[in-house]
Amino acid sequence: MPSAGLVFQSVLLGLLLGGLYALLAAGLTLYFGIMRVVMIAHSAFLILAAYLAWWAHRETGVDPLLTLVVTVPLFFLAGVALQRLLLSRLSPVTLTMMSVLLTFAIALVIEGLLGYAFSGTQRRIRLGYSSTSLELFGARIAVVKLIGFALAALSLLGLYLLLKHSRFGQALRATIQHREAARLLGIDTDRVAGYGFGLGLATAAVGGTALSLDSTIYPSLHWHWIGPLMAIIVVGGLGSVPGAAIAAMTLGMMQSLLQIELAATWAQTIFYLALFGTLAFRPQGFFGGRLAQRF
Amino acid sequence: MATVSALAATFALGGCGGGAGSEGSGDDTITIGVSLPLTGDFAEPGKGVERGYKAWAKIVNDKGGLLGRKVELKILDDQSNADRVVSDYEQLIGKDEVDLVFGPFSTRLVVPSARVAEEYGMLFVEPAGAAPEVFEQGFKNLFYAAPAVANDHYNHLAEYILALPADQRPKSVAYSAMDDPFAQGTAYGLKDKLEAAGIKTAVDEVYPPNTTDFGPIAAKIADSKADMVVGGSQYQDGVNLIVALQQLNYQPKIAAFSTAPTSPEFAEAIGNKTEGVLAPTGYTQKADYPSNKEFVEKYTEQFGKAPEEDEANAYTTGQVVAAAVEAAKCASQDEECQAKLIEFLRGNEVETVVGPLKWDDKGRPQSAHMIQQWVDGEIQIVLPEEQKEADFVFPKPKW
Amino acid sequence: MRSDSEPRTTTSGSRTGGGGRTGPLAAPIARHRVALGMKLLLYAVALTALFTFPDVAPSRYEVTVAITLLNYAVLATAWNFVGGFTGYISLGHGAFAGLGAYGTALLVVKAELPSFPALFAAAALVGLIAVPVGYAALRVRGASFVIVSIALVLVLLLVFQSWASFTGGSRGMVVPRPFPGMLRTEHHRVFYFLFAALLALALVTWWLIDRSRFGLGLKSIREDEDKAQALGTPTFAYKLVVFVVSAVFTALAGGLYALWFGDLDPVFQFSILSGAYMVLMALLGGVRHLYGPLLGALVVGYALEYSKLEYGDTPLHLVTAGLLLAVVVLFMPDGVIPAVRGLAARFLGGGQSSIREVTAAELLHGQRAAGSAAPPDSRTRKEVSS
Repeated sequence: MPSAGLVFQSVLLGLLLGGLYALLAAGLTLYFGIMRVVMIAHSAFLILAAYLAWWAHRETGVDPLLTLVVTVPLFFLAGVALQRLLLSRLSPVTLTMMSVLLTFAIALVIEGLLGYAFSGTQRRIRLGYSSTSLELFGARIAVVKLIGFALAALSLLGLYLLLKHSRFGQALRATIQHREAARLLGIDTDRVAGYGFGLGLATAAVGGTALSLDSTIYPSLHWHWIGPLMAIIVVGGLGSVPGAAIAAMTLGMMQSLLQIELAATWAQTIFYLALFGTLAFRPQGFFGGRLAQRF
Repeated sequence: MATVSALAATFALGGCGGGAGSEGSGDDTITIGVSLPLTGDFAEPGKGVERGYKAWAKIVNDKGGLLGRKVELKILDDQSNADRVVSDYEQLIGKDEVDLVFGPFSTRLVVPSARVAEEYGMLFVEPAGAAPEVFEQGFKNLFYAAPAVANDHYNHLAEYILALPADQRPKSVAYSAMDDPFAQGTAYGLKDKLEAAGIKTAVDEVYPPNTTDFGPIAAKIADSKADMVVGGSQYQDGVNLIVALQQLNYQPKIAAFSTAPTSPEFAEAIGNKTEGVLAPTGYTQKADYPSNKEFVEKYTEQFGKAPEEDEANAYTTGQVVAAAVEAAKCASQDEECQAKLIEFLRGNEVETVVGPLKWDDKGRPQSAHMIQQWVDGEIQIVLPEEQKEADFVFPKPKW
Repeated sequence: MRSDSEPRTTTSGSRTGGGGRTGPLAAPIARHRVALGMKLLLYAVALTALFTFPDVAPSRYEVTVAITLLNYAVLATAWNFVGGFTGYISLGHGAFAGLGAYGTALLVVKAELPSFPALFAAAALVGLIAVPVGYAALRVRGASFVIVSIALVLVLLLVFQSWASFTGGSRGMVVPRPFPGMLRTEHHRVFYFLFAALLALALVTWWLIDRSRFGLGLKSIREDEDKAQALGTPTFAYKLVVFVVSAVFTALAGGLYALWFGDLDPVFQFSILSGAYMVLMALLGGVRHLYGPLLGALVVGYALEYSKLEYGDTPLHLVTAGLLLAVVVLFMPDGVIPAVRGLAARFLGGGQSSIREVTAAELLHGQRAAGSAAPPDSRTRKEVSS
């Protein structure tokens, strides 16, 4: 029987991890909602952002958090370009399959370039506060993990408010719900879709920076992120941002708790079990309801 | 149409292979083929091994070469990938027709590549395959060029702990090892000895090489409040685990990690809180074996810093093969020659920078590792008694 | 080119292609015979080259490269049973190759079966596993199918890494040699012919399915699954059967590779990259053609080997593979064969007379792309002007 202290500690670790999952899954959800695209390269951009943070820190010594000022706008533009220049070229009938292959190809290119530029060696940012921690009821929270979580939570909140309460958010949601109808209402759906993609990719920039604070990175790491993220968006109901957030927190927590009794790799299979289970018994997902109907 | 292209491709491949094939077998050079993990999981130690090989080739050539022939290294990068390492040795032996081969880094890559060499009948001396299973494959051509196999690395530490008075001995130990034959071998070698002496195992975690999140493992170790932590680590995983343990404010009395603490970047990577961290090593720059002085001096000249263990093991590999070549008076892929080389090493002792080495019939070296500890901001030998540079610090100060 | 899977195609560049058979004139018939003769000659040359290659290869290293290429060719052809016939793109076929490899190894090591019975038993087991997997994966279309196929590889990687007591974990497994004591050069030679035989078997199977009613049904799924179902094709059963056939061939290739290579590591056996290579090879060559995946495998495999020899191993091969995949997806989703043939037809001026297959998808696309009158023989997909 694990001690109460260990369970509490694991719950905290699960929460902190789940926050990052939630933010990244929100990005994936946006792409899917807008274009029915499964964006395999999402986690490759995540690792790219982490590398940029690491590289900037190594070269100039700046705090990795400062790189956000550059990476977020950069990734936003990259997302817009990706949607406008590449994905919109694909035939709508075979879009789902071909977009998977295209984004897969982008992931390979990013991984290869990262490997070429920085080699396959594992990298980690060394900060003055890397091993500092706070105490909370006997458990310990690393400061870097807390910063990462705060970053994710704030971005998620910002994203939510933007979608819910801005004109652009309304246009984006309208585009997601019914593209043709949105166009008839005078919404420039192409532009909105491009911006939506930019937003999605911006979440990868934030997530990558948060990740770089407390994790080792290497070029092929993105494969270990894309699997759990895909599981999260399926379990959450493809297209629903709150669904994805709830699924992310739940699964992150379950993974963390399972690790008390199981080896870390076994615990990670929970994501795939949840994925297969959801598709077999409840293909519409658990929290999302019908595709992209709610935000 | 498709078939024509297929043909063209096959012949083109054959054609391009023919031209470059015979570069290795000139009379005035001895070409030695090596595949090393210059990128990927084992890139850091892989580059160390590469420097060791290069230093060896330079020192040999400065003295006029082997058997009067210049030594030339052909080094390929296997990306720490077992599929690649096999195809690299296929290429080195089959296509580049090298005269000799040296082993790669890491046990995981040694076994597949040793089989290639064995099936082509070539001698295979390697600097890094220390785990027990390397020697259980029935290889007849394999020799490990270091003092001891992985499971014996902590022997001196085990003796030290068991000699402590009962009330000071650690009561429980947490083990965390990478699922890698070498790294896990070191930790489990110690585990077997301590368990046999009745010291409890509080945590026993094994993680795959690509693990990046050590929070959960650290949480278990911290929760167990074990007196001692043993990490079967390579480099980055050891650093990550230590940082995660520091984040949880876990303070063991003894902390031992394989490989990681001996790296020059280790201190900075864990925030300079190194005091008291232990690691086994097969090599010390200060050892007074005659060839070691020359090695340290010339290596430092060539690379601007003193050699570490990986470099030394690579250099040792070179020394071992050179001794065999000089005794057999030949260096070529010729079956008879390779058999003579193997036979020599089977029956003789070789002087190296890590001391005199000899092997049992499976290729296991018959010496022991020393134990190093970070004392006063510097990694120093503390065990065994007769080789120590500093006193063993126990219990370990807080990190 | 009777190798084509297209039921209605007569797109060969020469103007006599379609008319030769029906026309009363003797000359076209003679020309047809010449073409046939040429084709037989080509086959003869190809087979001779295939059989003599291990003896004429400049060094034993080239034989190992040839084996790697043959292995790629079998994998790509096996993948194409699903991808080519049904149009479902699986990125997870690496999982079946890995299962075939590990299955064979485990049966040899744990159950002490002889090597080759173990290979076939493992392939049969993978076929059994493919039934529920296919059942789950094929029920969902599009996005979910791809997600499932990727997830399958990732979860198997975790399982084979974690279950160390059974699979050897990250340390991998050593597969006992099927021919103990055989010299390595001879070993390569034997496996060269084994891989060639497996490739032949896969190609013949594909060819047979292609000409059968079953094949026709499958292709109707590719063109328009809903319509096929409405017309009474048992679409789900068809998809499932061909999925299992594909998995079995993939597993055979994986298992044979295990016996040849001798060392298994979960990271490389259950790799998304190997699945992606299969897709790239098949798409590049052309999924509707018998020899498409073979051609793609030779081109991609040869390019990989060549760049390795010339430039050493750098991660740039990933970039190359990625760019190639992107180019294929964006500009020639039907592969090189139709693209080249389309070009040839345009230059020879023979293209107009041929009746081109138009899929329902493309028709729909044509209707949507209002105003932009695409030339009938153009295969490039235009951006939807919306």
